[in-house]
Amino acid sequence: MLRPDLKTMPAVLVVSLLCAVVARAQSATPAPENGTLDVEQVFAGTCGYCHSDGGRAAGKGPQLMDTARDDDFIRNRIKHGKQGAMPAFDGAFTDAQIDQIVKYIRALKPREG
Amino acid sequence: MRKQWLNSGLPVLVGATLAASAALAQSVDTARIEAAGQNDWLTYHGSYKSYHYSPLAQINASNVGNLSVAWIHLPGRSTRGLQSMPLAADGVLYYSGSYSRVFALNGATGEVLWSFFPELDETLIARQTHSPYNRGVALGEGKVFVGTMDGRLFGLDAKSGKVLWETRLLDSQKLTVGFTGAPLYAKGSVIIGSQGGEWPGRGPIFAVDAATGKKKWEFLTVAGTDEAMKTWGNDSWRTGGGGGWMPGTYDSETNSVLWGTANPAPLYDWSGADFKTQGARPGDNLYTSSVIALDIDTGKLKSYHQELPHDAWDFDSAVGEFVMLERDGQKYVVHPNKGGFVFVYDRNLGVKNVWKLVENINFVKDIDKTGALIGRRDFAAGKVTDPLCPFIGGGVSWNSGSYSPKTGLYYKIGQEWCMTLDIQKTTPVTSPQAQLNIGADFKMAPPPGGEIYGHLDARDPITGAKKWEVRYPEPPLGSVLSTAGNLVFVPDSRGIIHAYDAETGAELWNHNNGTGHQGGIVSYSVGGKQYIAVAAGFGGMLADEYAPAFGGVYKSMPRDDGALVVFSLK
Repeated sequence: MLRPDLKTMPAVLVVSLLCAVVARAQSATPAPENGTLDVEQVFAGTCGYCHSDGGRAAGKGPQLMDTARDDDFIRNRIKHGKQGAMPAFDGAFTDAQIDQIVKYIRALKPREG
Repeated sequence: MRKQWLNSGLPVLVGATLAASAALAQSVDTARIEAAGQNDWLTYHGSYKSYHYSPLAQINASNVGNLSVAWIHLPGRSTRGLQSMPLAADGVLYYSGSYSRVFALNGATGEVLWSFFPELDETLIARQTHSPYNRGVALGEGKVFVGTMDGRLFGLDAKSGKVLWETRLLDSQKLTVGFTGAPLYAKGSVIIGSQGGEWPGRGPIFAVDAATGKKKWEFLTVAGTDEAMKTWGNDSWRTGGGGGWMPGTYDSETNSVLWGTANPAPLYDWSGADFKTQGARPGDNLYTSSVIALDIDTGKLKSYHQELPHDAWDFDSAVGEFVMLERDGQKYVVHPNKGGFVFVYDRNLGVKNVWKLVENINFVKDIDKTGALIGRRDFAAGKVTDPLCPFIGGGVSWNSGSYSPKTGLYYKIGQEWCMTLDIQKTTPVTSPQAQLNIGADFKMAPPPGGEIYGHLDARDPITGAKKWEVRYPEPPLGSVLSTAGNLVFVPDSRGIIHAYDAETGAELWNHNNGTGHQGGIVSYSVGGKQYIAVAAGFGGMLADEYAPAFGGVYKSMPRDDGALVVFSLK
């Protein structure tokens, strides 16, 4: 299979895979340091397509800023998605990266101006 | 009207039994699709002329008030609604639902003749965004052709639904995208285009041998020629996007497939004005947001026009039909672009005119009659001060308009809405599975000083001169049908299907289908009786924006339901 099993793959390898992709794909943009995600960029690239204004407003998907959902729910939804509404990102992000995304969502504030 | 209908078609078919007519379905071929016929709907756009028009007139402006539901079919598992364009041949109706489920139904009664539910890679589909809807099938050589979200094309026996061949065309595990658009059958080939756009791939279009399923050729809409390769700086062609996710058409006079291509990735670039040398994908990015003519036998590019060089707004060319017209000895091709402009070409894709369907456009000041973009807005990273118009949903969406040769008018839905935008630098992710590459945070916004709305325009297709307009509080997302009965049908987003007088726009009839429309509408005849078939069922990349934006009926409207509703006179 082309898709590696991320559950059994050492986290360091997953991170290095992501870094390798980033480095190869576009040299104009710096690769994330220490294998961490630039979550703002992840939203501008992927998540924000449905969660409008970087997660601050409802769009195709719900508003994430000030969500009443708990962390476990959000983690689970990112990992497994929801049929017909949200893709599963278990093949794209590690648990640690999903934690980073949850942290970003919790810190969302209205834009100034 | 009735007399004309009875005398102008294929009288031997009128009154023929279904058993006999089903056998004739094998005879669907290029000549028959070209001729369009009286009683059938043989390809996505109706015929290669792409009129979305029926010459049937039994249902007409004087009796449409008596139109009522003849039968309904529920495809089940309508995740993200029902988006396909039904086809009809010799009394049999063929259509697809989500997950590429295909049905063959008795066109008069709705009785299921056969069904085909492909076994799909559900884990892959769970990881896709623009999924699992399917927008239609193609007919030809006694077969029904359908693409799948996991990158395959099937050839089914039109009489039994049995799989005759299956061909894997895309590595969807890696690229994430698959096929949602209907294929096109012509001259022994089945043509189908991949999803792409905001997905970092190269957006191939394929031709497959209709008899065997063997791949004939593949054309890459991103850097598919040496010339095109030079228009992608910094090797950005590797993740360029493109694709051709809606069916085009076939021009027998030039032996060409005409196809509209999708946008480049990321959707929004941070290049600023110097997009030829700066930003995510420096250059014009050929052949994205273009119309292309490919030799149907070889896949070689014969001509093209890039409607939006270096598209920095996601206003691609995949959305529009190719309306083939003739006026004063000149042959034209009319093709709407998602940005809200309508391009008029000659048969070699030379630009003859460009006109505006949509009022709220500011991504350019204008596109002149030669196709040149005047006063384009190219953004740098950061917040965009004035909203961008139209919204990412486009000035037009992928739902087709209709041209009536009887009135000489082109009926097309326009969309008036804008968006706030904050441009951000992004990095394409291609492994282990490709991910979306948008390049901005954004939000729907009303046009400056006004409200969001949609409109059906009746216009001259060559000059754009408007004869009448009907407005809707939210843009309709279903396709339009015109008929020789002097009628125009518009299935709207709230769930109402409207019939208008084709000359005046006066509403003559409507019916509530109980859920929003975002699929196809066709007309056909069985045993001397005319039917109108419409796909009802809401949900998907644009429909999903409606509940938060408009509330009202959309708040409770299901996005996992759908029905094929078929009407006839009482």
